[in-house]
Amino acid sequence: MESTSVVTSKGTTNAVGKWFRRNLQTSMIIIMMIVIWIFFSILTKGAFIGSQNISNLFRQMTVTSILAVGMVLVIVTGGIDLAVGKFAGFVSVIVAFLQAFVWYKLIPDQPLLAATLSVIAGLSVGILVGMLEGYIVSYLGVPAFITTLGFQWIWNGAILLVTGGRTIPANQPYFSYIAQGYLPLWLGWVVAAVVIAALFYTMFNSRAQKRRYGFATNKLSLDMAKTIALSLVILFYVYMVNQYNGVQVPVLLMVIVAFIMAYLGTNTPFGRHAYALGGNMEAARLSGINIKRNVFLIFVLMGLLCGVAGIVLASYVGYGTISAGGGYELDAIASCILGGTSPLGGSGTVFGAIIGSLIMASLTNGLQLLNVTPAWQYIVKGAILVGAVYIDVYFKKNR
Amino acid sequence: MTEEIILDVQNVTKQFPGITALSNVSIQFKRGEIHGLCGENGAGKSTLMKILAGVYPYGTYDGSVFYEGQELKLTSNSIKEARAEGIAIVYQELTLVPDMTVGENIFLGKEITENGVINWDKTYAECRKILEHYKLDVNPNDVVKHLGVGKMQMVEIAKALSENAKVLILDEPTSALTEAEIDKLMEILESLQEKGITSIYISHKLEEFFRITDSITVLRDGKTVITAPTKELSLEKLVSYMVGREMKERFPHSTRKPNGTIFEVQNLHAIDPEEPSREILKGVTFDLKRGEILGIAGLMGSGRTELVTTIFGEMGKITSGKMLLEGKEINIKSAKDAMEKGISLVPEDRKKQGLVLIQSILNNLSLPNLYSFSKTWRIDKNQELKSCLQQVKNLSIKISNIENEVNSLSGGNQQKVVIGKWLMTIPKILIMDDPTRGVDVGAKYEIYKLMNELAEKGVSIIMISSELEEVLGMSDRVMVMHEGRSNGILDITEATQEKIMALATGIA
Ligand SMILES: Nc1ncnc2c1ncn2[C@@H]1O[C@H](COP(=O)(O)OP(=O)(O)OP(=O)(O)O)[C@@H](O)[C@H]1O
Ligand SMILES: [Mg+2]
Repeated sequence: MESTSVVTSKGTTNAVGKWFRRNLQTSMIIIMMIVIWIFFSILTKGAFIGSQNISNLFRQMTVTSILAVGMVLVIVTGGIDLAVGKFAGFVSVIVAFLQAFVWYKLIPDQPLLAATLSVIAGLSVGILVGMLEGYIVSYLGVPAFITTLGFQWIWNGAILLVTGGRTIPANQPYFSYIAQGYLPLWLGWVVAAVVIAALFYTMFNSRAQKRRYGFATNKLSLDMAKTIALSLVILFYVYMVNQYNGVQVPVLLMVIVAFIMAYLGTNTPFGRHAYALGGNMEAARLSGINIKRNVFLIFVLMGLLCGVAGIVLASYVGYGTISAGGGYELDAIASCILGGTSPLGGSGTVFGAIIGSLIMASLTNGLQLLNVTPAWQYIVKGAILVGAVYIDVYFKKNR
Repeated sequence: MTEEIILDVQNVTKQFPGITALSNVSIQFKRGEIHGLCGENGAGKSTLMKILAGVYPYGTYDGSVFYEGQELKLTSNSIKEARAEGIAIVYQELTLVPDMTVGENIFLGKEITENGVINWDKTYAECRKILEHYKLDVNPNDVVKHLGVGKMQMVEIAKALSENAKVLILDEPTSALTEAEIDKLMEILESLQEKGITSIYISHKLEEFFRITDSITVLRDGKTVITAPTKELSLEKLVSYMVGREMKERFPHSTRKPNGTIFEVQNLHAIDPEEPSREILKGVTFDLKRGEILGIAGLMGSGRTELVTTIFGEMGKITSGKMLLEGKEINIKSAKDAMEKGISLVPEDRKKQGLVLIQSILNNLSLPNLYSFSKTWRIDKNQELKSCLQQVKNLSIKISNIENEVNSLSGGNQQKVVIGKWLMTIPKILIMDDPTRGVDVGAKYEIYKLMNELAEKGVSIIMISSELEEVLGMSDRVMVMHEGRSNGILDITEATQEKIMALATGIA
């Protein structure tokens, strides 16, 4: 009896090891994140890992993450979008402008309706601009780098026009809830329970499907280990943030966005076509893929996500300003690259980008806790970005 | 001839994750001989050559290699070291920089400098000398991407020889060459032999071994099967050593009966859209029957590839003439368009047009077929895996794991992936541009069988091939192209090599 249990546990360890080797990139970056967390936790004597800080950390990463999640697909197709930061900023000032100056005249005393309209407006602007950029890049053939660089300047100007240099308040009720709200504690647990149930259902369902097709399934112990580990992470997170104020609405939003994008990227022809055309455009075209439409749609998606990010940004900071969104595009790009997206196109994952931006946010947050001056924060972040990518390159070469 | 051993490979074993590419291989190469190396796709030929050339440095394999009596220990800058030692290699896949000139390419990595600055005059003068020496008809100032594949191959060889090589490794140098170019290559190799240079020659065109080599080694599944003087071997023996059984025929028998016209091309003219003054098709007329295999023969540059890519909507701009599919005039704007109408193309260049090298075998096979695996907007990954595994089996593609990068496959197996992905689209008309390039005899036979099966099911196939034997062995009719024109269509019963060549060179 005893010997069999030893054998299975050894088998599982082997299987886990195999998984790690197969997913070297993902494993590496997760390990890196854990190392950084441990490091900061020790240096800050536990303050870093405290529930209030964890809560803040996740909220701080939302805007960049939402941008990074869209950026992954843009970079995967071999493009780049330098306009996302300032565009999200533009959406945020537009939304703030509507909140502060327009709705109260048109529909006074209806804050819920006003907030809803603001969201719709922000998303619409996102989609429309995405369509315009996508059209210019894919149908007119102007390189993405140039198009989006141009748009970055355009948004700089547009933001100045809308704000007139002033700060516009966007802290009205309901609207604030989008990025400052918390789920009631009990609802947090309910969400966690639902997600965990879904995880287990998916796992068993996919095993059943595989068996129906006559494929060997992973060891049950391995699948269980993976699902349980993920569930524990979720439970731990909800427990931590419930110690403070509860699950934040924007974090939930970010997770939903990331999930949808990840699913789109790996499980639909659209997503797979994007990866293929980034890897070899000519082979993709000869495979019957409509390259132009695919690239166009990716920019539309990116625009939509900029809209989401802009709304969250306005709600989070509570006002629209001329500096809104400055430099976010670089944070988003760095998150992608840190998360294993190839700058040459063709490969990269949404999950990696999320972890990448969590690492970036952790660095900022941890260094702030340690009272490191902004100057050194930049220097450390820059060095870590380059160093981390080097480690990745090194391991790939010596696999 | 001296019997001195220049290269002695002893018990070399090379492993990749999940696969043993070479196990205990020992071969001796004599100075001044032309040594043929053959074996099925994935037998380990290229891997062994890459060990000799320093791509896989000392320590990444087991066993030893002795070169001129000394153990070869290529380490840090191993590729350069091997070159300095006098081991030159022409890789299976072209390695020229397309946007550079011939001269720049040949001297890439060993630029002629004066005080740290490149002396271009001297570079080009040297380059011209090399090209003239080997009687290569190439201008050193030409940009490589404007050359045909055959000339590129010649430039590769010149590049390898530009550094006094003692051993020249040629990994499938003739897979993209025309008959005339092959003749030229043979001449060059013979003149090298007279100078005492050893050549190691890999090919899947087995006849070539009997024209040129002194001895032959056969590899199978990473093991040496036999090394013997060429005169003691015959084609049949060689094939049976390679595939491990006897092969009675090169081309499988078929009972197909083409009937009814499915596709017609009438007096097609087309220009190069990037260079409108250049006419790439100057009048092509043919018809294709349901369930027929139509071979297209012609010399390199006769417009065969241009014809099929133009039909596929991907290259030329049609200026006059028309195309009829099932009696209706059609206008194809893109590959997507063509595929929706039931026409698929297996392209010529697997690396550039066929595969996404950084992706898995699975993803490559399924790429043109994703919609057929998705009932809704979601891909049924189990269905995808099942179909692709089936295809791997049908084509006997040698893989260790379908999730591995397609880049890790041997050249011939990559070619099978290319064929497989477009076969899965279940077209009405399948156009194949040199489909068996670099594929071993056994696998060729499998591909031919598949083509026959398809034709028997009513699929019409247009096959371009540079191997006349293949054209004659597989086609129902042969269309011969000459300078962008269709110069005649021969029924297989009347077609001979001579007649085809006469049409191809414009004599007839
Ligand atoms: N970098 C690599 N990673 C993993 N496997 C590899 C790699 N390179 C080669 N292999 C495997 O090693 C085996 C031998 O490959 P090799 O390229 O030497 O074959 P080959 O004899 O040259 O075949 P071909 O005639 O098709 O060119 C194949 O099974 C191939 O898949
Ligand atoms: Mg090879």
